[in-house]
Amino acid sequence: MSAAIAQWRGFKAATRLGWEVSSNWTRPLIFVIYSVLRPLSGAFILVVMYRVISGGAPGTATYLAFLVSGVAFWSFVQYGFAGLANGMADDRGEYRMLKYVYTSPVHFYVYLLGRGLAQLAAAVASAAIVLVVATIALRLPIDPLRVNYPLLLAASFLAMLAVIAMAMAYGLLLLLARDSHGYGDLGASVLYVISGAIFPISVLPGILATVAALSPLVYWMELIRRSLLGSHTIRMFPALSDADVLLRLVIATVVTLIVAHLVFTWADRLARQRGLIDRESNW
Amino acid sequence: MSHPSAVRIFLKTIVARAWPRFVSTYRNRTWVVTETLLPLVGTISMIYVYRALHAPARYLGFVVLGGVLLAFWQNVIYSMATQFFWDRGAGNLELFAMAPTSLAAILLGMAFGGAYVSLTRAVTILLVASILFGVGYSAAGLLPALGVFVLTICALYCLGMLLASLFLFYQREAWQLADAMQEPIYFLSGFYFPIRSLGAIAGGLGSLIPLTLGLDAIRQLVLPGTPQFIPLRWEILAVVAQIAGYAILSQISLRYLERRAREDARLILRST
Repeated sequence: MSAAIAQWRGFKAATRLGWEVSSNWTRPLIFVIYSVLRPLSGAFILVVMYRVISGGAPGTATYLAFLVSGVAFWSFVQYGFAGLANGMADDRGEYRMLKYVYTSPVHFYVYLLGRGLAQLAAAVASAAIVLVVATIALRLPIDPLRVNYPLLLAASFLAMLAVIAMAMAYGLLLLLARDSHGYGDLGASVLYVISGAIFPISVLPGILATVAALSPLVYWMELIRRSLLGSHTIRMFPALSDADVLLRLVIATVVTLIVAHLVFTWADRLARQRGLIDRESNW
Repeated sequence: MSHPSAVRIFLKTIVARAWPRFVSTYRNRTWVVTETLLPLVGTISMIYVYRALHAPARYLGFVVLGGVLLAFWQNVIYSMATQFFWDRGAGNLELFAMAPTSLAAILLGMAFGGAYVSLTRAVTILLVASILFGVGYSAAGLLPALGVFVLTICALYCLGMLLASLFLFYQREAWQLADAMQEPIYFLSGFYFPIRSLGAIAGGLGSLIPLTLGLDAIRQLVLPGTPQFIPLRWEILAVVAQIAGYAILSQISLRYLERRAREDARLILRST
């Protein structure tokens, strides 16, 4: 059996395992309902907040679309980042199988990629349902026939690479702690603030706004809105063309991948030296 | 040999179950960080939403007070409602069932300990968010608001006891259910906006959760200009009624579900 087939089999097994673990072996329909309830409610919270302030003034659909699109696609980060980072800690502490993954012929990167992709499957369902429900209920200016799908897919592919890479590095860093329960969600929450998902990053104070501008997530959010809403969108970077924003996303993603790889390699070496891969963490 | 009275055992059980929670307040520092920062970061992100909308300053206060009570809600869900589920997975529930005490006393102990832990997190959130964003409160309403707060927390933890018994019947989906009781409840309880904005039906439905009316009453007292959902005195009366109602319901539910759990052998079921 060639090495490529072995890696592919490992990838498939990791993806299936990731799905089963993240859904805790519940029935798929129940899992999807629970997965959709959170972002849908999150979107409605923002809608009510906006309506409270705007008082139902005309022309509110554009801003609502800004909020809803950000919340809908945030599921990818929530599942991909928090889910994967938490999953690595769970694999070690709760299921006590991380050491077996290390000793298997599958490359650790391949395993984590599969584990992360399973999380993204739930995110796709969640984002789609939130967008459909909100577009119909709030009459958002999203026309499925006029969406710039190539731009949307290209931007989302790059962003997901960055999210999975960040989650891998962060998850491995968390292995340095004895008990990192909840830190995956905490990391995702911090990214939420600096991602431009629910408000333009220009609202943030100087240093935070600068940090946010270095993140690929901001450019991803901008491109999502431009591809979904076209000219109806509120732009965080009005001076930049679509190509300019895409270029920034590419650069930010490449830098993120390099930094994440360096952090991952360093944390991996440290974890092996200190014997943290099979550390007991009192689950 | 004389046996201790039932009352003494009941009270000692409460203290014994609350004690690990008191100790855990500062012992597990990694949990201190997450339990404080998770609601704080969520609160900050919502404050920036209002800032982006150029909302009046009192709306920032709405969010901060929502964030304070959010810490309690998360504690009720993850450390009360799901606790027997975790205890069952860890093998403790069967020990509790065999011990010469009642599950009600164990739940009360968890409630006292959990309320204390959450209070330490909530005070931090209140101070940090209020100072960072310059949120001011009406001094005249602080003392009555503190009274309403205590009533609200009592009602909330009585609801937590009720949920704990209900969660005994959930298996693998318990974790997902607990997660699903986050944003939907933030929405229905008006954590980040005046509950009046939801209208009578949704607001009334949300009022089944003690936080809804308690939070609205506290906002009316310390943030003048808060749109009134129902008159303050009715909100307080409703919260008091919820304390009694949820306390009674939790005991009935606990007895019934404990019996059913024994019959169905769910007390020893491993589902985590």
